[in-house]
Amino acid sequence: MTPVATADLCAGPAGVPGIRQSLERNRLRGNGRLYAGLRWGGAAVFGVVFVALVVTLLQESAADLGHMGISILWRGWRPAVGEYGAGVFIVGTLLTTAVALALAIPVGLGTSLLLAELAPRWLAAPLQAMVEFLAAVPSIVVGLWGLIILNPLFARDVEPFLKHVPVLDALFHGPPLGASILLASVVLAIMILPTIVALSRLSMAGVPLADREAGMALAATRWQVARRVVVPGARRGIRAAVTLAMGRAMGEAIAVTMVVGNNTALPHSLLSPGSTLGSAIVNSFSEALPGTLQKSGVVALVVVLLAISVVVNAGGQLLMRARTPPVPPRGPAGGGGASGNPPAPADSEIRL
Amino acid sequence: MTTVPSALGPPVTASWRRELVRQQARRRLERRRRLGRVCTTLCVGALCLSLAPLVSLVFYIVARGLPALSLGFLVHTPTPEGIPGNGIGNSIVGTVIVVGLAMVMAVPVGLAAALFVVERPGKLSGVVRFVADVLTGTPSIAIGVFAYALLVLTIGYSGLAGSFALAVLMLPIMVRANEEAMSTVPLDLWEAGLALGSRRPRVVRSVVLRTALPGIVTGNLLAMARAIGETAPLIFTIFGSQFYVFRPTSPMSAMPLTIYDNATQLYPSAQQTAWGTAFVLLALVIVASVLARSWAGYLNRKARVR
Amino acid sequence: MNPVHEPDGAARADHTTATLATHLAQDADPAHLVTPRPAAGAAPAPAVTLEDVTVSFGQHVAVRQASLALGANRVTALVGPSGCGKTSILRAVNRLHDHTGGTVTGTVHLGDLDVYGAGTSPELVRSRVGMVFQRPNPFPTMSVFDNVVSGLRFNGVRSKSLLAEAGEAALRQAALWDIVKDRLRDPALRLSGGQQQRLCIARALAVEPEVLLMDEPCSSLDPVATGKIETLISELSAYVTVVLVTHNMFQAARVADDTAVFLLGDDRVGELVEFGSTADVFRSPKEPRTQAYVTGHIG
Repeated sequence: MTPVATADLCAGPAGVPGIRQSLERNRLRGNGRLYAGLRWGGAAVFGVVFVALVVTLLQESAADLGHMGISILWRGWRPAVGEYGAGVFIVGTLLTTAVALALAIPVGLGTSLLLAELAPRWLAAPLQAMVEFLAAVPSIVVGLWGLIILNPLFARDVEPFLKHVPVLDALFHGPPLGASILLASVVLAIMILPTIVALSRLSMAGVPLADREAGMALAATRWQVARRVVVPGARRGIRAAVTLAMGRAMGEAIAVTMVVGNNTALPHSLLSPGSTLGSAIVNSFSEALPGTLQKSGVVALVVVLLAISVVVNAGGQLLMRARTPPVPPRGPAGGGGASGNPPAPADSEIRL
Repeated sequence: MTTVPSALGPPVTASWRRELVRQQARRRLERRRRLGRVCTTLCVGALCLSLAPLVSLVFYIVARGLPALSLGFLVHTPTPEGIPGNGIGNSIVGTVIVVGLAMVMAVPVGLAAALFVVERPGKLSGVVRFVADVLTGTPSIAIGVFAYALLVLTIGYSGLAGSFALAVLMLPIMVRANEEAMSTVPLDLWEAGLALGSRRPRVVRSVVLRTALPGIVTGNLLAMARAIGETAPLIFTIFGSQFYVFRPTSPMSAMPLTIYDNATQLYPSAQQTAWGTAFVLLALVIVASVLARSWAGYLNRKARVR
Repeated sequence: MNPVHEPDGAARADHTTATLATHLAQDADPAHLVTPRPAAGAAPAPAVTLEDVTVSFGQHVAVRQASLALGANRVTALVGPSGCGKTSILRAVNRLHDHTGGTVTGTVHLGDLDVYGAGTSPELVRSRVGMVFQRPNPFPTMSVFDNVVSGLRFNGVRSKSLLAEAGEAALRQAALWDIVKDRLRDPALRLSGGQQQRLCIARALAVEPEVLLMDEPCSSLDPVATGKIETLISELSAYVTVVLVTHNMFQAARVADDTAVFLLGDDRVGELVEFGSTADVFRSPKEPRTQAYVTGHIG
């Protein structure tokens, strides 16, 4: 690598007399200033876009935020009486996200444990590619599938069945309509599953071989190694995966709109049609005329959604990037036999 | 054998303890194994649950989307319900234009911002990283509303507003991917370049960008693949159109929007259109993802040969 | 490597032989180096018997047809250059190749137990054979105490009092109890490298193994920590049979009762060339290749 790049830099056989002059010319041309300008420009555009996003959304929602004040967080959405609160939608968002996580976490962790630990490698690689392929499917396509395939299935079979399960039936009263908080949660769970699987499998695979061998040498079964060594060793990455998945579930709008039922009343069971912040934005946005309080109310929903997801995502990013705990590394480095693993490489920061 | 003083009851001799441990190990082994088998079976069940939606999804997209496809479907414009000759040609063109313009906007900014972060570690680049993280977590619907408020209210519904929204969506992903790719360039290479008397732009152009190119290409194309399928940023910005539109300042159509509009209608033919469009859209996304990975592989191979 | 091909190899070999000889002859009787125990052949029942053991990874044969009888409660060192199959032999004893794609042929007996027998479960073998690795590898998410008793828990021991007692006993055996008795709940990674390695030894001892496999346990430690571990190894042979892989000849001379020398054959496959009491192997090796290796390598 190095010789290639160095050769490029010389831009010709070494010792050619023209090089110095050409370098001088380069310097005179002021390439450096132009380049610095480019870099600063890129960063500036990036920053300006972000500031514009915050300012524009706050500006557009100012009317409703001023009108409702903090009560926007618990008041309902009643355009007829000029009340544009996010309360019902916040409940819907939290409810769908919670149910989606409750469904996706066990399934996702089981899947990643199988892929990282229990399945033979020749089988794990293609299976993993398949699960992660799901991440590439656009949300609109998942929504279409949920609306046309899952919705009738839920109305006809799944929801009536759930109403007959003892204990659980308390969660499922009301007519089985198909489109509901439950269906939206299932669709969300499917959409966040690849995130959970990909990230937690990655951090499980990152658990050092030395730790697994220590477990095995102590007579642990394969499952014991997975459960007692690999999962605890990967818990940081798993937590980050769940947090990022949570952010994604909260922010999803289109697919949810297609299956949630879009009811602005407070949901009283998982079978109720409901609304999330995202679906409410999609539904109300085109109804509201520009310049009205209603339009401002919709943008206020965006602000609320943004605030929630920024908090969740910032948490996830922090977890992702958090370094190993501040304890001395195991043993001095060096040696590094077959079972030795190099310490996690730090970010190679380039200083010039 | 040794006797160990113990705070907990009478001392236990080592040999006796060895017997006890052996006994436990023998007695519990079957149970431990059974637990392992049960849990592995549960994990297999979880895998099946993970794959079931995918299999069903792919099955229906192929089973319902493929029959909708024809050459005419790909080139015609939409017809009213019941009239044959329906097509999504305008949506395909719309997606290509909107996404293409978004790439034109986002790629240079993403590169420049990433260079900024990589070259100047410090407070300011920390801010850029933070912004990238926050924007990555921003729901795409929020970006759509932002583009609406900023552009639609001033220049009207247009492909351009949609492109802007997609560009905002892609930017943080690109910045992070570019940064990742560039920071894998060894410090030696930067220093080797500078030591030879090259000025910084030269070093960046010939060393860093060339070495990081595969990673940059992958990251940018993957961001594009994601943007192709996004609906939320477009739904309030490009409005949709029934005709071929090539002027970015006019309302346009795009495939995700066509799926959304058709899926929510009850006519079987509209649903068929939705499935057909979903098929084409998914195919496009797959092509973009595969391209992202194979192109990087090609660049890597080329770099090694030279 | 081979002194014959080096211009001044012979001189260097002489010098190093002399050094080792002085080491061994310091007290007329090398008792401080080689514990006076019966020679390998005269040992009671061997704790581990390997017969014609060959370990291969796919096409690559790591070590070929090694036969060894490791005396009970003795320290046996496996020495040799890197890549000659010492570690492969070690890992064949507790079936650690099962999961890494290695193939073991031949037979290994642990006492009467046929390690690779059809009805033998690897877990039961490993509950009787402890292992210590090259680099200290305490479980990073567990406390000191949880690390020590992890093997017992894996084996199904639930009794709190038994865990506490066995944990304390193991930590005492590893000469770690006085250091960690007040910080049993601390994360294991807070300990220093040498302490971590002793914790790993304690963890292995807690299961009360008959055999303790040690794979270059000092290779990542400083001299002081190494010294402590070596002292520990000598003491441990009262309870367990120790098999020690090392590439440090002096270490083998210091702590091992018996020594097995592995070298690479002409076809780059490791093989056992000499096995006997440490004093014999170092002072009067039967094989010329051992002689060449032992003398050429020390220095």
